[in-house]
Amino acid sequence: MSNIIVLPILIPVLAGSLLILLVKKHRIQRFMSGLSAIATLVASLFLAVYIYTNDGIAALELGTWPAPFGIVMVADLLSVTVVVVTSLVGVCCLFFAFRTMHRERERYYFHPLFFFLITGVNGAALTGDLFNLFVFFEVMLLSSYALIVIGGTKFQLRESFKYTIINIFASMLFLAGIAYLYGITGTLNMAHIAERLDGLDEAGALPVVAIVFFIVFAMKGALFPLYFWLPRAYYGAPIAITALFGGLLTKVGVYAIIRTYTLIFTQDVAFTHHFLILLIAGFTMLLGVLGAVSSFDLKKILAYHIISQLGYIVIGIGLFTPLAMAGTIFYYFHHIFVKTSLLLFSGVVERITGTTDLKKTGGILKTHPSLAWLFLIPALSIAGIPPLSGFFGKFALVLESLQEASYLIAFVAMFVGLLTLFSMLKIFINAFWGEQKHTNKQAQTPIMDVLAPVLPLVFLTIIIGVGAQWSFGFSMEIAEQLLDPSIYIDSVLKE
Amino acid sequence: MSWLHIFILFPLLAAVIIPILFKKIPRVHTGWFVLVVPLAVFIYLLTFLPMVAGGETAMYSLPWIPRFDIHYSLYVDGLGLVFGLIISGIGALVVLYSIYYLSKHREALHNFYVYLMMFLTAMLGVVFSDNMIVLYLFWELTSISSFLLIAYWYARRQSRYGAQKAMLITIFGGFAMLAAIIMLSIMGETFSLQALMAQSDQLVQHELFLPAMILILIGAFTKSVQFPFHIWLPDAMEAPTPISAYLHSATMVKAGIYLVARFTPFFGGAMEWFWIVTGVGLLTLLWGSLLAVKQRDLKALLAFSTISQLGFIMSLLGMGSAALYYGGGDEAHLHSMAILAAVFHLVNHATFKGSLFMVVGIVDHETGTRDLRKLGGLMSIMPISFTLALIGSLSMAGLPPFNGFLSKELFFTGALNAAELDIFRMETYGALIPIVAWTASIFTFVYSIVLVFKTFFGKYQPERLEKEAHEAPWGMLISPLILTVLVVVIFFVPNVLAHYVLEPMMASILPPLAGEFDIHIEAWHGFEPELFMTIGVVVLGAILYATLRKWIVLYNNMPRALSITNAYNSGLKGMESISRKVTDWHMTGFSRDYLRYILVIFVVITGASLFLLDGFSIDTANAANINGFEIILSLVLVGSTAMVVITRSRLTAVIGVGVLGYIVALFFVVLRAPDLALTQLAIETVTVALFLVCFYHLPRLREKEEGDGINVFNLIIAGAVGLLVTLISLSANGHRLFPAISDFYEDAYELAGAGNMVNAILADFRAIDTLLEIFVLCIAGLAAYALIKLRLARREQDENQ
Repeated sequence: MSNIIVLPILIPVLAGSLLILLVKKHRIQRFMSGLSAIATLVASLFLAVYIYTNDGIAALELGTWPAPFGIVMVADLLSVTVVVVTSLVGVCCLFFAFRTMHRERERYYFHPLFFFLITGVNGAALTGDLFNLFVFFEVMLLSSYALIVIGGTKFQLRESFKYTIINIFASMLFLAGIAYLYGITGTLNMAHIAERLDGLDEAGALPVVAIVFFIVFAMKGALFPLYFWLPRAYYGAPIAITALFGGLLTKVGVYAIIRTYTLIFTQDVAFTHHFLILLIAGFTMLLGVLGAVSSFDLKKILAYHIISQLGYIVIGIGLFTPLAMAGTIFYYFHHIFVKTSLLLFSGVVERITGTTDLKKTGGILKTHPSLAWLFLIPALSIAGIPPLSGFFGKFALVLESLQEASYLIAFVAMFVGLLTLFSMLKIFINAFWGEQKHTNKQAQTPIMDVLAPVLPLVFLTIIIGVGAQWSFGFSMEIAEQLLDPSIYIDSVLKE
Repeated sequence: MSWLHIFILFPLLAAVIIPILFKKIPRVHTGWFVLVVPLAVFIYLLTFLPMVAGGETAMYSLPWIPRFDIHYSLYVDGLGLVFGLIISGIGALVVLYSIYYLSKHREALHNFYVYLMMFLTAMLGVVFSDNMIVLYLFWELTSISSFLLIAYWYARRQSRYGAQKAMLITIFGGFAMLAAIIMLSIMGETFSLQALMAQSDQLVQHELFLPAMILILIGAFTKSVQFPFHIWLPDAMEAPTPISAYLHSATMVKAGIYLVARFTPFFGGAMEWFWIVTGVGLLTLLWGSLLAVKQRDLKALLAFSTISQLGFIMSLLGMGSAALYYGGGDEAHLHSMAILAAVFHLVNHATFKGSLFMVVGIVDHETGTRDLRKLGGLMSIMPISFTLALIGSLSMAGLPPFNGFLSKELFFTGALNAAELDIFRMETYGALIPIVAWTASIFTFVYSIVLVFKTFFGKYQPERLEKEAHEAPWGMLISPLILTVLVVVIFFVPNVLAHYVLEPMMASILPPLAGEFDIHIEAWHGFEPELFMTIGVVVLGAILYATLRKWIVLYNNMPRALSITNAYNSGLKGMESISRKVTDWHMTGFSRDYLRYILVIFVVITGASLFLLDGFSIDTANAANINGFEIILSLVLVGSTAMVVITRSRLTAVIGVGVLGYIVALFFVVLRAPDLALTQLAIETVTVALFLVCFYHLPRLREKEEGDGINVFNLIIAGAVGLLVTLISLSANGHRLFPAISDFYEDAYELAGAGNMVNAILADFRAIDTLLEIFVLCIAGLAAYALIKLRLARREQDENQ
């Protein structure tokens, strides 16, 4: 049964390959694309249910080469949830793209690249091998370079160059980090590394290697001070792609931090977690939100908020207690839902008014009330207003910061929350209130078809907030599993 | 799930069908349907009154998120119930009033009533919740509905400004309150208010006691417009008048008062609590009354008057908290009079201020203006409105025979008692309290008179009004009339109110004294200092009103730049400009800057931790010997790298890169890895060849560029990165803790039938890596092809078709 672990990777990779052949046939391509995305989601859900009902973890040795010599795929609660959410966000963005994407872009491999991207993200979540993680990162990044640059506008070319060059540097460093770690531990299998390092007396060079890895993942995850590429790179691409990136890509970096910093790098928690990660979390939140406050463009504000929210997500890793980790996990998924929906809504605004410059928008509430109210829900959620999901993530993290007497980080989190609200209000007041600035013809723009793909995400931010008993309970289970690495090790090495 | 749970959520649930009613039944004003909701809640809440008057309380709990100890639990006691009655009662009157105030033809009534119902649920939730997190949830919901209601006419710039200001300030307070709630839960290990109160004795010494107190007070003060957070209220007057009457005078702004009252059993008795609450309250009282006098807009005048009156109630709660210091006995009862005054005035204020707002709304509605300079002489044209305004104003000024007189007298009593206190270091400043209270009362008298006289007396100036003035329709007058009747009735039968309403409220605020109150409110209690103070207020107030023209110019000398609103505005601007500076400073848009930052940070963080953590130790025991051949190769490697960087010719650069690659291949040869060497050679050859093919199409490098020559800073960074990577490599190599797993692969032939171990790894043991790398190449190919072929020049337009 554990063969089904590869389905969330296999389906998109096959779909992507097939779709290369179908680029000329527009309708068939779309049909196959939609079908495959839904199939991936169904397979992921199936996998998640299977894992959840069977021990909460399973490993698959590819080619039946025993771990740690071959490559293993490991599905634990965190990775299957990531896979489900990835596939879901993929479906939403894809159906949104059907309605908004330029026909030419679709002809030039949007669909195959989309599926390769999903392959990379799902693979990164499921792999249990450090080098294989690197390879999946490459698949994901190459697809993202391609997606971000296709269309070839001047802006895209300029910004994706920076994106690419920074990420290539990160990849090189990643490779170096893997070499260091292999040098020390003599293995690449994450469970095996963790097993070998467990109970080690002297940490030696490990914390430094840990920091190298942290820098790599922080660069991918757009944390302070390595996020420079993000705001403009995300600005240039079509909104369905930006939303996919904003929701998923940076999270893969954070996922890798969560994975390695719970499984492998736990030698010097006081320094790497409590000091370094918390410090970086604080600065990431603050500088990201300042970027948002300084902007007056819908998409740019949202792009900067990706950065600031990532800061929140890593607080829990820094505090490294069960509740804080659960807060991180909860926030992780909350942010995927909220950010993707906000970015997609900004695309709808652009579709109506033809701009995302807040100086040129206004009065959308009057012409498109459904969009305005739907926008307000994730906007309030991201600012942490109860009973939406953003509140509970923030609540757990602040509660745990105060409990651990990390008053400063709690204060920064609160302060940044206020500034987040400020920029969300800025959007709401300038885009939805005010005098109508778009033409009456634009006011007739139908939007129901593009709102529909976003509805599941908006619904989720409400439901995991109101149903926090259940959703946070699940986050708690994930966190407890993560904080007990022996579960992971035993399931992979079967000792 | 009890009926109370349902009734609190009832308005929110009802809100769902309001838009449908608005669309489907446009003939009937939607307000008539909505009216049922607050009325039903009011009647339902009345059924609790006998129980609560009997000194009992009730708790209804419903688990929501037990994991966090978050329950939808409701607690009914005197304090909550009276607030609930005020909220639903005035809510019903306001809805009735709004039916005549807002046109069913022109206004977006569905929005209006949905927001209003949202607010009703939120406010009821605030006053009945026992769980602090749920309380916080409803608290934020009041801010949001207030935000939406203030900007109900969202096309107006001022409305949007007011809404944003109110939202930012109240949510700021809300966040402070959330932090306080979390601290309290850490102290008491519960989110239940009642469970927390029970532990107040043990927790006074806790280190978080004071921070939690201050944060709770910030929450309360922002909501209840206490100085210096009062600045949002005047701008909130952009809301339709029924909303100003309801949210911004009678209910929402009293949520802070409620919070302070609710937490008095916990924090009361502490010196800091006494001083902060009393001090801020008095300051707000005085400041509000001083500024109210100079207002020319009727609603602005009422806004400042509300600020001042809320300060009045707040300061009384502070003074009364001294009763908890004593805990019992005569002293405690003496100071409990201040609490009595507070709750009494709370009720009175809701009646007279509610009616005044509605009358002002009528004046605005029927004349088209609220500007005192244009108004005047309306007494004969609008006699009923005039009567209502007069009664309301005189009650506000503290004159008999209206309820405001009684609570004002009690206020003086409380202030005089507080001045006598010999605890909390009151000896020095105690005398200030009655002086400030008295001064503020004089100005209250003045603005109350201004309100009535400038509007209804004087000369009628029809040419300056937008409409021809006439009396309002009866429907609009009913609500203020009911409130005005209450103003008078309460004066004559205060003790009925005291028994059913005030005593239960006091019992909630001062639990140690519960059941011992023997309240008897009298209008006449002899020639006491309070009476002389009232007479002084009237005399001095009348003189000041008579000489108003002479001294009102003093206000013009107040420097505008020093005002708090100005500080708020420039604070927001400053924040934006600082963030712009910070962002522009580091987000330069140049990849060379970004790379420089990233490398510097890499060097700093890893370098520092390498030395701090003592991870740096080079152990050469298992390192191979270095032979001369390797040294030569390394030197060539360095040389060719330098050549690539320094040269200004593309050809040289390409050759340099080629050399680099071949040297690496030679290294593989030296290190006895022929497969790798062959692969590397093949790749290098192809790369260089491709480079040379593209070479023709590339633009020439510029001969001389800015920053040419050696950039010392970059050189240092590059050197440092190289050095650090080497050091970590050596360090990691020196820490080889375990044998590598590669021995396994040496049996490749037996395992996989492959004679070549590297091939077996690539194509079998780790085949998936190889497969995926093939996909990586494929993606790169697709990307390159698409990039060359597809050029969307006008992306924006195209994307939106």
